[in-house]
This record gives sequence, structure tokens and C-alpha cells, in this order.
Amino acid sequence: MGAFQGVVRQLMLRLPSCLLALLLAFLAVGQQTNPVDEFFARTSSTHTNNWAVLVCASRYWFNYRHMANALGMYRTVKRLGIPDSNIILMLADDVACNTRNKFPGSVYANQGRRLDLYGDNIEVDYRGYEVTVENFIRLLTGRVEDSVPRSKRLLTDERSNVFVYMTGHGGNEFLKFQDNEEISAFDIADAFEQMWQKKRYNELFFMIDTCQANTMYSKFYSPNILATGSSMLDENSYSHENDADIGVAVIDKFTHHVLSYLEGINKTSKANFKDFFETYNFETIRSHAGVRSDLFDRKLEDTLLTDFFGGVAQVEVMDIPPNPSVQEPLVKSDQKLAQGVDDAFSSSIPRQSLSPVNPPGMSGWRLWLGCALMVGLVLVVGVFRG
Amino acid sequence: MILSCDFLAAQAYSDRFTESLVIRPLEDGKVASLFTFTTLMAHASGRDPINDSEDKPQHYTIFPLSLGQILREYAITELHLTLNAGKWDYLHWGTPEDADVGSGAEMWAWMADGGADSIDSRWVGVRNAVSGLLCASLSSLSIQRTTSPLLAFPPLGDLPVIRPTNQTDASKQYHLRHASLPSEHVCTENLTPFLKLLPCKSSSGLASLLNPHKLFDADWHGMGVHVRWLERKGVEVKLTFQAVVDPVRYSPTHSRDASLGSMFDRAIEKPCPVAAESMIQVKSPTDAVFHLSPDAHMENGIAVYDLAEAEYPLDISLRWPAELSFNYLFSSVHTSAPIRVTRVLRDASQTHGRLTVSIINESNHTQYVAYLETVPWFIQFYLHTLRITVDGEPRPDLLHRLSYTPAIPHADPTVFEPIFTLPPLKALRFTMEVEKAFLRYTEHPPDAQRGWDLPPAVVLPIQNPDLPFPISPYKSQRIYTSTLLVDLPTPDFSMPYNVILMTSTLVALFFANIFNTLTRRFVWIQTAVA
Repeated sequence: MGAFQGVVRQLMLRLPSCLLALLLAFLAVGQQTNPVDEFFARTSSTHTNNWAVLVCASRYWFNYRHMANALGMYRTVKRLGIPDSNIILMLADDVACNTRNKFPGSVYANQGRRLDLYGDNIEVDYRGYEVTVENFIRLLTGRVEDSVPRSKRLLTDERSNVFVYMTGHGGNEFLKFQDNEEISAFDIADAFEQMWQKKRYNELFFMIDTCQANTMYSKFYSPNILATGSSMLDENSYSHENDADIGVAVIDKFTHHVLSYLEGINKTSKANFKDFFETYNFETIRSHAGVRSDLFDRKLEDTLLTDFFGGVAQVEVMDIPPNPSVQEPLVKSDQKLAQGVDDAFSSSIPRQSLSPVNPPGMSGWRLWLGCALMVGLVLVVGVFRG
Repeated sequence: MILSCDFLAAQAYSDRFTESLVIRPLEDGKVASLFTFTTLMAHASGRDPINDSEDKPQHYTIFPLSLGQILREYAITELHLTLNAGKWDYLHWGTPEDADVGSGAEMWAWMADGGADSIDSRWVGVRNAVSGLLCASLSSLSIQRTTSPLLAFPPLGDLPVIRPTNQTDASKQYHLRHASLPSEHVCTENLTPFLKLLPCKSSSGLASLLNPHKLFDADWHGMGVHVRWLERKGVEVKLTFQAVVDPVRYSPTHSRDASLGSMFDRAIEKPCPVAAESMIQVKSPTDAVFHLSPDAHMENGIAVYDLAEAEYPLDISLRWPAELSFNYLFSSVHTSAPIRVTRVLRDASQTHGRLTVSIINESNHTQYVAYLETVPWFIQFYLHTLRITVDGEPRPDLLHRLSYTPAIPHADPTVFEPIFTLPPLKALRFTMEVEKAFLRYTEHPPDAQRGWDLPPAVVLPIQNPDLPFPISPYKSQRIYTSTLLVDLPTPDFSMPYNVILMTSTLVALFFANIFNTLTRRFVWIQTAVA
């Protein structure tokens, strides 16, 4: 009982200062309503970094096209600005230096071999026998041994947008790894949930090109996941074309369609997912590519492709700060810029509006209410303590 | 004496980067080239795993930072890693410029003792770190591949005495860990980080010739990272790339004329400004009229180009003007290798086999060799069946000394390390029966039907077989045999599913019948008479 009283007394003592803080906050809210509303009504992504996990789960030379699928994605995300350090590339076999490859050190994804996807600057993080279901799930969930190097870790945080691309041979709710083991739709869903709980992503975009691919994202239940797959249940995904000199199919139809679309965008593109998903059609893909967006809380027309495929975080160009003390270093650092600033000040913007004092949004009634509340509470506290 | 790794800023400027390219036309028309990039971090030394803390400030100028951090973190005194593809043909190509030509990945490290479990945990750490650094899948170099051979891998540099002990011998404070992974692929993803370790990357100097599309088309290619400590000099990292290209294959007229342009598809546009020394050496053949352009400075029959004084773009060409097309007539007269080795594993069945090795002494005097065979546990040697013969005659006396560590199933590999005496101009042949283990279902690789690669055996010519050693005193060039592909008993991987399906079908049939008979009542039903 005594302890309880002590706590009450403590609270009483601190009450006035708490109230004052509350009041100030209240007043502050009064003057900044618009930016806050603007902030919460933001439609653009709030991520600060981008990551990509690109998995080719198939082994053997005749699965050349799966390697080419993943490498095509690798080239595209790298072109759109995700650095090698933020790309985890998993290739279950080595086709570039395979003895059956007539073009050593090269992987092509089109007939006529116009574009070498392997190039002379590539970093494969997991390759060969290392591409296993266990390693993939460990990578996603971050449960790796201490000595695992940075290049083999997904070092994402709660502000990361993660793009996960998988390709290989699959079926209803599974994808085969190395023609030896399977990952099920439930495994991936649980791994993503664990990532969400561990704050390992802000938003996640999952893309899969395999037979019956849409079943693979049907089990997801974690928030902020957007998913797309190449074909629906009981439907095959087909390869796109063969190259006679390579001797095998070089790319799959769905991935070919996606990559062709992405070729048209650059780092500053405003292309959005709604437009992108609307390009899916049975005639070119020869299967019913699916989209799942019920877990994703932004509108697809507001979600840019570069939010996942690009590596450029949002950059906001602010107006020049009005405070003259800020203006000082600008003059020192860059004469030309400072000149521009001076011009801007003198010509268009009236000085009055730049002043930080006298917030214009402050209305009379709020001030009165605040003061009355304050006085009232102080009185109440005084009486109670007395 | 405690050697510390930090050094003064003034000394940092004495870091030295040198590069060289040695081109040697081979007898069979191919051309071997060896790129060597050496960076010396002056007056530095490896970290003492006990007394030095890990977070001492470091200063790097041209020494690769990412590699330096790994060496420091795991306190590695000497580190060697090679990634090779193909089989070095000793018979036609002679002795390689850089000796470590074993197929696949091979890695070994000398580490200072740092207390219990320290060596093995640091070995795991450095293996993972290096595999991340070079995009190699060395993490599969598990305990099943790790050995500590006594003779074949001596330290190439010096080993600092790390702390005062009553043992004056530094060697007792150091441990070797060695592992090889013969099935490792080498491709552009390994070359990309390799080039990033160089101060000029691939933009200038000799490294600009390292074009992946040409190199990975070569008949043989390999890269190496060798770190060692040299007393009074510092830590030296030597990056090597070795390739054997075949100009005859590229040439429409089957001529063996070659140039930098034809071999690497590039010429050298500018020198690397950081390099203190940048040289190209061409070893001229003696068998035919040979023309080299541009003109070079000759030293002992070797043409030397100094990149600091050369005219750019520099494209060296080797021509045999008298030859219209090249025909290789093999004659063993030219063979320069004093020792040749062949190794085969005869598979009588999927469970047993016989290892047969011949070591041929081509010289006319007696030689000694240390032989090293490290095989994963699933090949088990029957040591009592070891038979040594020369010309069909049993010669057990030629086995000078033998060190043998049997395998531990599912864990350590076998290490078989004899020293043989080779009689002049004779072939020593030894055979041993082996048993192939039956692996667990999950121990098979995804492509189990392909079989398992066994690491190459190593032969080390030695001068005096009786030297005492805790650390091998023999520093001659290793000779590698080819790898072996073993067919292990492989189960039918779909068998468990078939068994499950069949048993459940049978159980279902049986159960359904019994259940039916037990639960149904069979009664006469009176049908209404119409």
C-alpha cells in the first residue's frame, strides 16, 4: 500500500512537467498538420536500400535456360542500380565454363547471341553444390554461421526492399533444387514470415518462373509481400527459344517477357507495377502468369518497378533552407550555387514567408484551449496535493 | 620477442608492387603464359593469435585490404590457394612455371598455435572468408577434406618466432592445414574478385590482358593466391594466373604463330603506374627459326620487355616464318621432366578396386620422392596389400619410410605418405587394394551418378630422405597427378518412395479386406416377389 502511494506521489510530482510537454506537443501538432498528413498519405516506398536474391535452382547443362533466366535478372538489377554487394546470386551449375559451352565465359539468353550475360564482371555468391534449400532458407532468415562472409549474407533491415527471384523445375507447391531436393511453398512462406518478424524487410517482391509457379506464393501470409508467378496450377511454363550453336533452350517465356519489359526502363523510370502486370498475356507467355497483391498495402499504380528492381533510394530535393546561417557555408563551398540562391531570394520568394517565427497555421482557439487546460490542471494538482 | 603487425606510415610507402608475364612456347605448339603480381607489405608480419588483439589499426596502401583483413582476423602466417581447370600435361608441356597445377581447388595455410581448438576454428574461418572473397565454393572443403601432410607442403616463406619459449625451433609453434576440392569449377566469377585485389585492376598493365573469354577457353588455366612472410621484408602476396593456349586451334592455317592479340584478344594499352617493375619475358624455343617482334632486350636466351620503356599499344608476336602449318611430331627426347607419375584406380566392382601408381625415374641416377595421397574416407586403403615392384620384381626395400593416417568414417580422410627410392631409369610401381564405402543416403551429391572426384596425388622429389622434420625441410617443386573419378555404389534414389508406395498399397488392400469382413454383416435379404 505504501509503495502504491509512493508511486502516486511520484506521478503527482511529475505531472505538471508531463502536462507541459503534452501541451507543447499539442501546439506543435497544430502548426504542422499539413506535413504530417502529407507524410502519412505518402504513396511512395519508404525503403532506404535494395537487395536482390536471384536463385537458379537447376543443375545440368540442359537447364541452361534457368541459368540464363537468373543471369538476365542479375544483369537487369545491376543495370538499374543494385550493387553487387546487395545481390545474392545463386547458380546451381556452371554453364559459362562448362566444357559443353562453345562460347567459354559467356551465357546468352537469345537466339543469335546478341548479349553476353556473363560479361567480365560477375560475382556468383552461391554456386554448385552450395545451392541447397538449407542455404537458401538460412540466407533469407539470416541464421548463418559466424564465419560466413558478408558476400553470402542477406544483410537487410526493416528499411530494405527485397526482390526474390527463383527459377527451376517445380510443381504444385514445390520447387526442385539441383534435381535432388525440394523447397515447398510453406517453407518459403514461413521463411518470409520469419524475415518479417526479424525486421529483415520493408517490402518484398517475389517472382518465380517454374511450372505451376503461382502455387508457390499461395501460402504467403506475411505483410508487404507482392508476388508474381509464371503459370497457374496444372499449367506448364515453357521455354522461349533455342540457339542452334548452344544447342539448348536459352530462356523461358515468362522471364523473357519480364526482361524485355524491363529493358525499356532506366533508373529514373516512373513505370509502375500495375502497368507492368497488365502486359502479361497468354499469347506471349503461353501460360497464365499470376499476381498476388492482397498482402501488399500500397496501390500497384503507385508502386514503381524501380522500388524493387532499382537500387536508387528516394532522394528528395528540398527548397533552400531559409535560415541565413545555413546560407553562409553555401557561399564558401560553391560560388555558383550561392549566386543562384541569392537570385532566388531576391526575385521570387518574399522574405516574410521564410521566417521561422509566428507560425501562420496557429489559430486562436487552440491557444486559448491550451492555456485553459494548463491552468485548470495546475489548479487540480495543487488542490489534490494540498 | 613479440612481432607486431602495425608499422609506421613512412614505411608504408615502401610497399612494392611488381608484375611479370612469362611466355613460353611449348613443344606441341601451345603457348604457356604465367602472370605474376607480387605485392610486398614491407615490415609487416602476421598477427600472433594469442598476444595481439584483432582491432589494432591497420594501414593499407597497395596491399589488398580485403585479403589483409582476412589474414589478420584469422592470424594466418602463410596462405596458398589455387583454382585450376584442366590437366597439366607434364609430358608435352614440361615443368610448369608455377608448380601448383593440381586440378580443382587446393588450399593450405600455416598458422601459429593459438591454444586449444584455435587452429581448426581458424581454418574453418579462413576457408569461408577466402571462399567469399574469391566466389569459390570452398565451404564444401569440410573436415572430410582437411589433412595435415608432413612433407609435401613446406612453408615457402619464413615463420616468425611468435613468443618466447624454451623451444628455439619456431616450427613447433606452427600447424599446417591442407584441403583440396578437385571438382571445383573456375570461371569469370573467380577472376572478377581476383582482379579486384590488384592495384590497377584490369585497366592497365599486364592485368589488362586477363580477358575471361579467352582465358577460360584455354586448354589449361589456373589462378593462385600465395601469401607468405619473409623475414626482414614483410608480408608478400603473390597472385598468379597461368594459362596454356593453343594458337594452332585458333589459326585457320594451323600455324602456331601467336601474339598477345591472338591469345588474349587484347594488347597492352598503358603500363600500370603503381608497378615498381613490370616485365614480359619470352622464352624462345630452340627447335626452329623463331621471330619475335617488337625487338627485345635479350638476357640468357630470354627476351625481356620492360613495360616502363615500351611503346604502346604493346602487342608482342611470336612467329615461325619458315613454317606454313604446324605438325607436332612427339618425341620423348625433349621431355624435360625428371620424374613422371601415372595413377589409376581400377574398378573391378562398385565396392572394391585397386590403386596403381607408377613413378618413373627418367634420370640416370637414384632419386628419392615423397608421395602424398589424401583421399576422403569413402575410399579405404588396405595397407597390408601394398606391393612395390620394379619390372615385375617385388622390391619392398624401395619403401624408405611411411607415414599413414587411416580414415575415420564420415570424418577424416586417409593420408598415405611414403618416401620411395627410385632406381635410375626405372619405373617403380605400387598397388594397393581399396574398398569403396557405402555412403549414407544424404551423403551423396545431387549428381551422384557422376561419381566422386579424388584429389590429385602429389610427388615431391627430395634430396636427402633422412632429414629430421617437424616441418618439412624439402622445398623442391611438387608434381601433381591427374584427378580420379570414382564410381561409388549408388542407390536408386527413388527406391524409398517405391517401397513406401508398394507397402502402403499392400497394407491398404489387406486392411480394407479385413475391415470389410469384420464390420459388415452379411444377411439374407428377402426380395419382394412380384
